[in-house]
Order: sequence, then C-alpha cells, then structure tokens
Amino acid sequence: MEVNRRGLLAAGGSAAALLPAPRDAAAQTRAETLRYVTGNVINTLDPTVPGATRESFGLSMNVYDRLAAFGRRQFEGNWIFDHNSIRGELAERIERSPDGLRFTFVLREGATWHDGTPVTAEDVKWSLDRTVSARSLAPPQMQLGSITRPEQFRIVGPRAVEMLLDKPDRLALSNTCVPYAIMVNSTLAKRHATADDPWALNWMRDNAAASGAYIVETHRPGQQTVLRRNEAWKGGPLPYFRRIIIQTVPEPATRASLVERGDADLCIDLSPSDVQALSQRGRVRVVSIPQTNGFTHISMNNRMAPFDDLRVRQAIAAAMPYQDLFQAALFGRGRPLFGANWSGTPESSDFPQPMPLRQDLDRARELLRQSGHPNGFSTTFTIGVGISAWAEPMAALVREALGRIGIQVEIRKLPDAQFNTAQAERTLPFYTEGGTAWLPATYYFFRLYFTRPQRWNFASFDDAEMNALVERAQFETDAAAYERQAKRMIEILNEQVPLLLMWQPLHEAVMAQNMDGYTYQFYRQADFRDLRRV
Amino acid sequence: MSEALPQGPLRRAARRVGIRLLSALPALFGVLVFTFILMRVLPGDPAVFFAAGAAGGQAEIEMVRQQMGLDRPLPEQLLRYLWDVGRGELGLSMTTGQPVRADLLERLPASLELTFSALFLALVLALPLGILAALRPGSPVDHLVRFLCTLGVCVPTFVSGLLLVYVFYYLLAWAPDPTGRLDVFAASPPGITGFLLVDFALVGDWEGWRAAAAQLVLPAATMALFVLAPLARMTRASMLAVLGSEFIRTARSLGLSGRRVVLVYALRNALIPVLTISGIVFSTMLGANVLVEKVFSWPGVASYALDALLASDYAPVQGFVLLMAAIFVAVNLLVDLLYGVADPRASVA
Repeated sequence: MEVNRRGLLAAGGSAAALLPAPRDAAAQTRAETLRYVTGNVINTLDPTVPGATRESFGLSMNVYDRLAAFGRRQFEGNWIFDHNSIRGELAERIERSPDGLRFTFVLREGATWHDGTPVTAEDVKWSLDRTVSARSLAPPQMQLGSITRPEQFRIVGPRAVEMLLDKPDRLALSNTCVPYAIMVNSTLAKRHATADDPWALNWMRDNAAASGAYIVETHRPGQQTVLRRNEAWKGGPLPYFRRIIIQTVPEPATRASLVERGDADLCIDLSPSDVQALSQRGRVRVVSIPQTNGFTHISMNNRMAPFDDLRVRQAIAAAMPYQDLFQAALFGRGRPLFGANWSGTPESSDFPQPMPLRQDLDRARELLRQSGHPNGFSTTFTIGVGISAWAEPMAALVREALGRIGIQVEIRKLPDAQFNTAQAERTLPFYTEGGTAWLPATYYFFRLYFTRPQRWNFASFDDAEMNALVERAQFETDAAAYERQAKRMIEILNEQVPLLLMWQPLHEAVMAQNMDGYTYQFYRQADFRDLRRV
Repeated sequence: MSEALPQGPLRRAARRVGIRLLSALPALFGVLVFTFILMRVLPGDPAVFFAAGAAGGQAEIEMVRQQMGLDRPLPEQLLRYLWDVGRGELGLSMTTGQPVRADLLERLPASLELTFSALFLALVLALPLGILAALRPGSPVDHLVRFLCTLGVCVPTFVSGLLLVYVFYYLLAWAPDPTGRLDVFAASPPGITGFLLVDFALVGDWEGWRAAAAQLVLPAATMALFVLAPLARMTRASMLAVLGSEFIRTARSLGLSGRRVVLVYALRNALIPVLTISGIVFSTMLGANVLVEKVFSWPGVASYALDALLASDYAPVQGFVLLMAAIFVAVNLLVDLLYGVADPRASVA
C-alpha cells in the first residue's frame, strides 16, 4: 500500500520516471500523501508542555480540536488567518451574552475522540480546567484573556459548556482558539494521570488523546512523525490529504533540493537566498506572505544610559538608513514598517503599521548634541546566532550608519541560549530581534511588548500612560473609545521611540506546483487541513 | 581468539581486560563531573531558551527551571545526577522531550553503522593506496595517492557532502534522497539490533537491505574521504619503514615471492601503527561526524548532542560525553587486543 521508491529504482527506472509510475494505486497514495520537511523538531505531542517547540504547536493544531477556530481571509492574493472571524471547531455553535460576560459552547453532535468514544461536556470541562490549572504553558496565556479559574467553566447541558467572565475581556474568546486550548479525551488522559501529575502532562507528551483532523500514527522526536486522516472528523470539512509525513531535515540546502526535485511537497523554513533561487528556476510554487502579526525591531534599553534619554533614542531613529537595512537584511522581501507619512495621530488603529521613521543625519547630530553627547558614545549591538543570516548584514550597516554621527558600535554575536538569557535579564543595551503575537489586537501587542517588567518587553519600556491605556483597552466595550485608545498607544510609541519598528519579514512557503490553499497561520506553521492538490 | 590456546592465557587476558575496565572508572567519573560543571558554568540559561511561549514570562521560566531541577543548589543537582546515572538514567532531553538514555540508545546504532561503514570503506581504499605508494616512493603513483589524500583532508565534510548530494541526488538522481537511514515511504525493519543492515539481513528482507545500503553510500563515502589521509599516510610510512628493515631483505634474499614478502611479512608488521590510528580515527569520527549527520539528516548521536548544546540542554550533552568516553575506553581496549592478533609479541598491558 506504500510507494516503495527504492524497489522501483532497483527495477531499473530512472528517478525522473518514478513519480508518474505505472502503478496507479501506489501513485494515488503518493498523491494523497503530503511530505513536509522542516529543520525543527516536534518535541512533544502536548503543546502545553513547557519547552514545546513551534513545530509542536503546528502539529497540535492538526491533531487536536479546540472549541473555536479563527477563519481565514484573502490578503494580497494569499490566504491569511482572520482573528476577527471566529467559528466553532469542536463547538457547533457559540453564543455570547449581550454583556459579553458569558459564552455558551454547544458541542457538535456525533463528535468522537480518536478512540471512537463520544465527546462529552465533562471532557470539555476537564480540558478547560486543565488550561487554567495544570503546571503548563497554558495558564499564563489564558490569563491574558481573563480566564483564570476552573469555576469559570460550567456544564449546562449534555452538549453545552459555559465560560463565565468577571469583565468583558476583548480576547477571552480568541484565547479558546490558540494551540494551548486543546480539547482532551479526559477518560483516556485520566487513566494515565498520577498523584504528582493530575493533568497527565507526562503521558500526553508522547501520546495524543485528541479528536482532531489527523491521528498520530508514529512519532519519533527529532526524526519523523506520521499522521493519518481521521475519517470521522466533525470539526470541519474533511482534509484532502490522507497521510502526512513530517520529517526533520536539518540542512536547509537539502530541504530545498527535496522540494525542487518533487520528493517533498512543502517546506516553510528555507533560507531567503534559497527561496529566491528556487522561485527564479520556477519548478516549485513559492507563497510569500508578510507575517502580519509579527515585527522585526531594533531595541534600545530604556532603563540603561545613554538610551534612557529620549533625545538619544530619537537621534538613533534619525540616523538609521532604513531602506538600505531592509535591502541588506531581507533583499526587500517583506513589508516595511518605516517611512510612513503621518505625524501626530495615525490614520489606522491597526498594529503593527508603518511608523514615520526616516533617515535625517542633521537632525540626528543635533539631537545627539542636545543630549550632551556631541562626540557620540560607544555601545554594543547584539545579535543571536540563530538570526545571523539577516541580522549580520544589518548589524554591519547599523555600525556604519551610527559611526557617521560619532557613535562607536561594537557588534557582538551570541549563541541563542545566551542571547535569550541576556535578553530576559535585560542586560543588552542595543540589539535586534523579532516578535510575533498570536492574537494581533493592538492593545495585546502593546501589553505584551511595551508594558510590565517581563521578558517580551524588549526595550524595558515603562510609561504610566501606556500602562493605564493597556489596562483600560482590554475591557473596553465601546468600539470608538477602543479605537481612540489604540491610536494613542501608537502615538506614544512614535513619541517615545522605545524601539524602532523595522519591517514584517515574509513567511515563505515553498511547495510542489500542484499544491493549493496554503494559509498563513498566527502560530506560523503549516495547517495541513487547509492544503490540497489541484 | 584461537581454540588452540590453553585455558591459562585466555583467563589471564580476561582478567587483564577486567582490570583495564575497572581502572577506567575513575576517568569516567571525572569526565562526568567535569561535563556537569562545565555545562553549568557556560553562559546561557536553558530555562529561558525553552520558555519561549508567546505569553512566556518569568513564571514560565521558573516552571521550566523547576522541571529541569535547576532551582536546586548545585551540589544537590550533582548528587541527584550521579544517583540517576548509577541507576542507568541520564535525565530528560528538553530538545526532543524524551529520556536521554532512550534517545542515545536509538541513535547510537545509526552513528555506529555509519562510522563502521565509513571506516571499512576508508580502510579498503587506504591500505592498497598506502602499500602502492610505499612500494614505489617518489613515483607518479605515490604522488597521485598524496594528491588524493590532500584533497580528502582539505575539503571539509559538509562541502564534500553537499557536493555529493548535488551531483548524485540532485543532478544525476542515482542516489536516494539524502534524508536519514531509510526512505520515508519504506517500511522499517523490526528493531532487533538497531543496525538496519543487520536487521534487514536477519529478517531476510533484501530489498530493504539494499534500500538501507543505498542511503548509507553517500554519507559513508563523505566520511571515508575525510579520514583517507591519516590511514593511507600511516600505512605508507610504516610500510616504508618495514620494507627497509633487515628481515625483509633476508626474506627477499631467500627468494620468497614479492607478493608473499609484501602482504605477509611486511604488511603484518606494518599494521600495528595503522591499527592504533584506526582506533583513534574511529573514536574521532563517531563524535566529529556531526556535519555529515546534519547534511544527510542522519539521526545520529553527534547531531543530537550539537542541537542540545546550542540550546544549553544539559542532560543530553552530559549523556553524550559520558557515552563517548565509554566508547573511547572500549575502542582502546579493542585495539590493544587486536595488537595481539597482528603481532603475537604484543600483549594487553
């Protein structure tokens, strides 16, 4: 039932003639099999386990169901997720009370777990309790949507569960769509729970207790994972591919050859230079979508001299050669977040959006003089090894540009674990990195990246007005008021320049010519349920 | 070895092997403690690295730290680790989410199979080349061998690996896709020894055996090219020394055939340094073939350790170093035993 290519090879056929082999049944299976190659590793089947990789999040979206899911929309000719349209996944219907304090989830009739047992309201209640109670990655995420206690979930019927809120949190429902909010076969999981581990985190690391579109057939961490379609799936239309092979191939050049030769069907983590070469040769389909929920930034430590001085930050903002940086780092493959024409108040309340940043060396020199550094100063610019492909050319240009206004920059390259440690300890004065928010609401971005003394506050920004705005916006029910608050947050970012927004890199998926339906998802992984051959 | 040997020497040899193994224990313990401390001295906090979730804050970092046992004082961590190692447990890998012992057990056969094949291939090439060069020093043959060896050493393995992939897979399509030990669409054999060639042979699946061998050819050739030089050069040098010695002159003057003189009298005496260097080459290859493993997606122990090191994931790195130390001890012992076969005058010291 499986295509044995080696057998055919031994039989004397040339490799070029392999795929359209005369064995129809075998060819059929290959056509309905998706081989996805990645440089990363799936290290757990349960996405909530601390240390779960992004590849694990991607897998869980295909294997597990959540109560709700984001829809998708067209954006510049491609599909991207739409966080403003939420539909039921394991829930057939979601009812919201007028005051926004109660959501009722009515489960799909006839939905079953992978072992064939029916999905019950008790399972859903247990799964929701797990997201707020287990010692896992889920509770901190759920907290961002004001979901904190098991008492907030109530069984109200054989197929209905309620979620109660103290305040009308704007993102409560969105949080039921994220990878952490998986619905678990509680009977199965409880069988493997222990006194130390009441939520079966250890068992679920290697075993799935799910109801999703795909069933895990084999899982060898660091090597490959094979999925088979769940023919009884109720969460949406049955996906096209019957079988998915997820394979870890560490070498990017090998991944590129595999896709180009037609031996693999999909890869989303090729190097930008490979993507460019592949799209020129035209044997594969390249889908390039700006990462609409992400941004690359140059951060300055706002608590550290001399970057605690607004004029120094403004001087650096005025010294950067934005367009050159964009070309050098990404060959222009992305969406710029600099060079906007507005001043004062932005036209849109969306974020990230282009900021009015542009190079003006005279202004930079003047600001630097005002700040008391007429002859500049010295600092270090840090980059992580993992991002050095684009950050290294960028760092060289930053050094050159700041040298022109007298600032001496030393470039420091750190292994990722060291980089992350220094970042979390807030000891980096000046560095570049990227950030992506699962839920791209403007206030959520600002809350995550510009408030509180926590790791993702890249610039260690602390502004009383921003803190208050973010608090208020989270529970704002008046659309016009929320719009005003969101615009004000963007204004503060522009006035205070805690960090420089640079661009949104492209998410580039390289796939076989006959593949269609690829959708950019907020967790930046492939959703196999969207894909088909045409 | 030989059944003709009387019981006494065999038992004595076994006792000496036992003593050698026992005397290696303090060294292994030292390696264990040293790696443990080194990993923690290196900058880079694994908890921060792995707590990379979108909402990940300090609480999440603490959670990972606790899960990895890093919140405890260092001496307590060391004692717990030693206790675990004593029970045969090597901790949990954050990179793969699996126990390190299971990971190493699954991956070691892959590395060993590749290294054995490469070493075999290298020896098959290096011995004749070295002998040929030694027989005609300064001749074009000698220069050709020197050129080949220099080329093999000069080209880094990831370059030769990628080049072989490009030519034999991408352009010519003679080789299967360079992703691991077996075609993704093929069925794997029952895991008996973990060595695919052995397992396929045991169940008599010769088609599978051929598939596994095909996957092996390119990575093994890449590694063999790299270690060709030390082996061929050593063979040449030690053959030259032996060919110039008096017993060879005697043998020749007695009218023995050239073939017999070279292959029996000279080669056997020249083999000891080659054996020594093979042992060293083998141990080095096992750890140093990380680039080959990366290029060919080979699920071996070296690439496993590198991934863990980059993530500051302590347990796998410690487990890997311990494993390598143990293998080094075993290989050295084996080489010493082989001395006895090559030259009966040598004994296991």
